[in-house]
Amino acid sequence: MLGRLISHLLVLSAALALPFAAAAQEKTGSKDGFSLQQGTVRIALLEPRILVGEQSTGGMFEPNADWTEQARENLEQELTAALGSVGNEVVRLNLNVTPEADSLRRYNYLFGAVAGSVVEYQFFPGNRLPTKKQEKSFEWTVGPGLRDVAALDGFDYVLMIRTKDAYGSTGRKALQIVGLLAGVGVTSGEHVGMAGLVDVKTGDVVWLNADLQMGGDPRTPEGAAKRVSQLLEGFPGMEPVKP
Amino acid sequence: MRRAAFCAGAGLAALLPLAASAAEELPLLPPYVAAYEPQSVDERGMWMMADEQEKLWALSELRVDDEELNAYVERVLCETVGKDRCSGVRIHILNVPAFNATMSPNGAMTVWSGLLLRVRTEAQLAAVLGHEFAHFEMRHSLKGFEQRRSASDASAWLGVLGGFAQVNTGDAQVSLVGSIFQFNRGQETEADLLGLKYLAQSAYPSRAASEVWQQLMEESDATAFGRKIKKRDTYRAGFFDTHPTSLSRADYLLDQALAYNDAGDPRSKEHYEAIQKHLPKFLADQVKLNDFNGTEYILSGIAGTTGWTGELLHARAELFAARGNPRDLITSTTLYLQAMDAGYRPPETLRGLGLSLVKSGKRSEGARYLEDYLAILPDAPDAAIIKMYVPK
Repeated sequence: MLGRLISHLLVLSAALALPFAAAAQEKTGSKDGFSLQQGTVRIALLEPRILVGEQSTGGMFEPNADWTEQARENLEQELTAALGSVGNEVVRLNLNVTPEADSLRRYNYLFGAVAGSVVEYQFFPGNRLPTKKQEKSFEWTVGPGLRDVAALDGFDYVLMIRTKDAYGSTGRKALQIVGLLAGVGVTSGEHVGMAGLVDVKTGDVVWLNADLQMGGDPRTPEGAAKRVSQLLEGFPGMEPVKP
Repeated sequence: MRRAAFCAGAGLAALLPLAASAAEELPLLPPYVAAYEPQSVDERGMWMMADEQEKLWALSELRVDDEELNAYVERVLCETVGKDRCSGVRIHILNVPAFNATMSPNGAMTVWSGLLLRVRTEAQLAAVLGHEFAHFEMRHSLKGFEQRRSASDASAWLGVLGGFAQVNTGDAQVSLVGSIFQFNRGQETEADLLGLKYLAQSAYPSRAASEVWQQLMEESDATAFGRKIKKRDTYRAGFFDTHPTSLSRADYLLDQALAYNDAGDPRSKEHYEAIQKHLPKFLADQVKLNDFNGTEYILSGIAGTTGWTGELLHARAELFAARGNPRDLITSTTLYLQAMDAGYRPPETLRGLGLSLVKSGKRSEGARYLEDYLAILPDAPDAAIIKMYVPK
């Protein structure tokens, strides 16, 4: 009964403190010295977590089941196509038929939290934690427990992907335009994409792509292709795309 | 299909007044649509999120994974709202030592362990479950979402346009914020009153709903007294309150229950039998909240029905031991011994008794109990620290 208070406070902060455009920041990182040779490892792809909705005029997220379903179909299709050519074997784990799916789902959420912290405390140089200030250090982990998950036996890495899109509603866009004239900064839309490679033996995040404003509209096949290419940009061991 | 169900419901509603002359006081329930599917874009989006949240509860470490306890709570819900209604709900019991239950738009209900510990009868549990179910039946999540969106939309426009016109819109913004909380309080009252109708129609007495809020007030008074802070029993809700105050809820629920004038067995003994297996865990969590007087109130409330059982004596001993004044350690020693006399002697009682004795200066006597504790649980997480009290 008290539980909804938090969502109220979130709404209030969204309504009263109109967010200003985020400053430019880094979008990719990898563990020092990490590299992959082609054809040497097996990678498990966890069921991606995909969420699409609209952003109301006041900034609330309005989840949209149809858009999410469309985006899921498009992104899964593009991922299958793209991962065939990354140079290493990638197997998609279907969580509905995998024993220990609970454990893997937890890790997917944990990965989301870790990747969010990387964006907040490392990719944005002005906000780095003291321990993350060294130029080359990229030390993030989901913990060593991952190796105990039997479903990952025989895999060297897990690829985890999360996306969340909130398209600015007509009202939000109108507000943005009027805000521009009024000198009040209003952002419209949110497009978070995260893709990370995690070492099964250590739990360390060895490669991460995370961006709060990714391109490509996953509701359309073309947009989904663009989104996937951005998510997998610089994937370890992949041949650079030839023009 | 849906339309047919609705018509049948409407037909029943039209028929009932004829039959109702015998029991005029019994309230009329709204027609119920079984197997409802979300309709609008907003509603389907909310259900999608709720489905995801429900999967997380299913794999949460906090979930009480016990079929019997789940079946008990489900039975109470079904007896309250009826078989057809309760089949649309899945119950997840979570180990959270606070008084709460939540309802998602997709029919997922959470019941917190602190609620099961605090209600004293099946009827009181039924009152809370009925209230949550009423939120579900009236689709409150959706209406609340839409209202919050309208208010925050208006607030955003005010902010931008106010900036444009160089006008201070602070007052208008504040009243929009207030409208969100006021709307929420309105929904809570609505759910209270529909919940009470279920209760009046069921075998449980509807007076139980008011009792829940009376007990909560008494507990919070006890907590406030123990912490030397001001009591908070007001009749009017404050600006940021999401719910009506306990006092006004206790009041209007009692009024309405008196109007229904229904009777029934609140089933107190059965409630404690159903949670018996989990009581030590629930009590241990409550003791850790560092709320001496509030916990004393809860303990004596349970003892009022079951008498001072070993579990309760042990929990009370832990409460005194945690406060730890020299006089408290004498009390806790006595209570641990009484718990053991009552036949309750898990390793935790031996540990508590041993530590209370050691801290009261009776080192060798205490060490004997601690040795027993270590003999039963050699790999206990606190074994290393307990060993420090045991002479080599």
